[in-house]
Amino acid sequence: MKIAVRMLGIAAIILWIVILFFSVTAVYSVMNLGINIGEVQMLPSSNGIAFSLPFAITNNGYYELADLNLTTRVTDQNGTVVDITETFVPSIPRDSNVNATHTISVDLNDILSMDHVSLLLNDGSFNVEIFAGLNFARAVPVQLSTNATIPWGAPFAHFSIGTISVSPHNGTHVEARIPVSFENHAVIELTGTLKVEVYSNSNELITSGKASINVPSQQSYADRLLGYARQQDASKLTGSGKMHVIFETPVFVVEWWEQYG
Amino acid sequence: MAEAIAKLFMKEAFPRVLKATVWGTVTFLAVYWLPMMLYPTDIFPLDYVTPLFQFATIAVFFAVAGQLFSGTVIGCGFGVAKSIVVIAYFFSVSDGGVFSVSLPISELTVNLAVDISVLLLMVVSVNLINIAKNLLAAIVLLTEKSTNIDLT
Repeated sequence: MKIAVRMLGIAAIILWIVILFFSVTAVYSVMNLGINIGEVQMLPSSNGIAFSLPFAITNNGYYELADLNLTTRVTDQNGTVVDITETFVPSIPRDSNVNATHTISVDLNDILSMDHVSLLLNDGSFNVEIFAGLNFARAVPVQLSTNATIPWGAPFAHFSIGTISVSPHNGTHVEARIPVSFENHAVIELTGTLKVEVYSNSNELITSGKASINVPSQQSYADRLLGYARQQDASKLTGSGKMHVIFETPVFVVEWWEQYG
Repeated sequence: MAEAIAKLFMKEAFPRVLKATVWGTVTFLAVYWLPMMLYPTDIFPLDYVTPLFQFATIAVFFAVAGQLFSGTVIGCGFGVAKSIVVIAYFFSVSDGGVFSVSLPISELTVNLAVDISVLLLMVVSVNLINIAKNLLAAIVLLTEKSTNIDLT
C-alpha cells in the first residue's frame, strides 16, 4: 500500500512538472512570437479593387502554430454581407517565418448588382469583422475577434443636376446644356465616361450628353454636358422628368436614375 | 508537568511549525514571487496578478496545513481538500476551460478566447491522482494504527 501511495505521489509530481514546463514554455513562446502587419494596399484587379494586407509571423517559440485562419467579413450599414474572405496558413513550425497576404477582392459588378446605388451617392461606413484563429502546439486553440468600422466615401457624393439651359443649334435642333456636379469622396480616382440621358415624364428620350471625366480622389467635378434635341422637344427639357445617369469605366458600369425639374 | 509540555512541544510541534513555515515560504516564492519575477505585470495586457495571488494563497495555506498535520489523517484530509479546491479554482478562473478576455488595443476591442481545456484536463488528472494518493495514505495510517499493539 505504501508503495502505491509513493507511486501516486511520484506520478503527481511528474504531471505537475509537465504542466509547469508546458505553461512556462508556452508563455515564453508567445512572448517570442513576432507579428508584423504591413500597410493595406489597394490594387486594381480584373473585376474591381483588391485590398491587400500583407503580414508576417516569425515563430521563435518552442511550439508549432497550426491552422492559422484569418477571416474578414464586410457588411454594409444594413447588415448585408459584401464580402467574406479567408486566408489559411496550415502550419508555422518553430524557428520559421511565414509571409502571407490577406486579400479582400471587391467585385464592383457584384456590389453594384446588389442595389448599392446609395453607396455611390452617399457617404457611409462598412463594418469589418475580423476573426483569427490558430492552434497553439496543436493543443491550445486560440481565437481572436474584433470589429472595425471603415468609412466609405461615395464617388458621386452630392451629385446634382442643375437647370438645363437650351439654346438654338441649327434649324432643326437645339443645344441643351446639362449642368452636372458631384464630389469624389472615394479613395480611387474616377476615370471614365459620364453619360446622362434626359427623359420626359412619359419616358420619352429627349436628349443625351456625355463627357470623359477624370476626377481625382477628394476633388469635385462640375461641368455642363452637351446634348442635342429636336426643336419641338425644347420645352420638355425645361420642364420636369427623369435622368438616366450612366458612368462607364473599362472595369465596371454603374447607372442610376435622378429626377430633375 | 510544564517541563514535560515544553519537551513535547520542542520534540513534536516545533519541528512541524518550522517545517510548515519553510514550506509556506518556499511555496509562496515558487508560486507567486518567481512568476512575478519572470513575467512582470507590464508584459501582458491582462490582470493576472489577482488570480495568481489567489492561487498562491490557496497553495500556501494548504502547504502550511499539510506540513502541520503531515503524517496524520487530518493531513490527508487537507490533501484531498487542496485537490478539490485547486480543481474548483481552475474551473472557475478558466470559465470551464475556455479563458476569454477583452483587450482594448488602440481604438479596437479585441476579444481573445483561449481554449485551455487540455491543460485543465491535466490539472484535474493530477489532482485526482493526489486525491487517490491522500485517500490511500489515510487508509495506510488508519490500518497501521489499528494493527499496532501497544505493549506498554
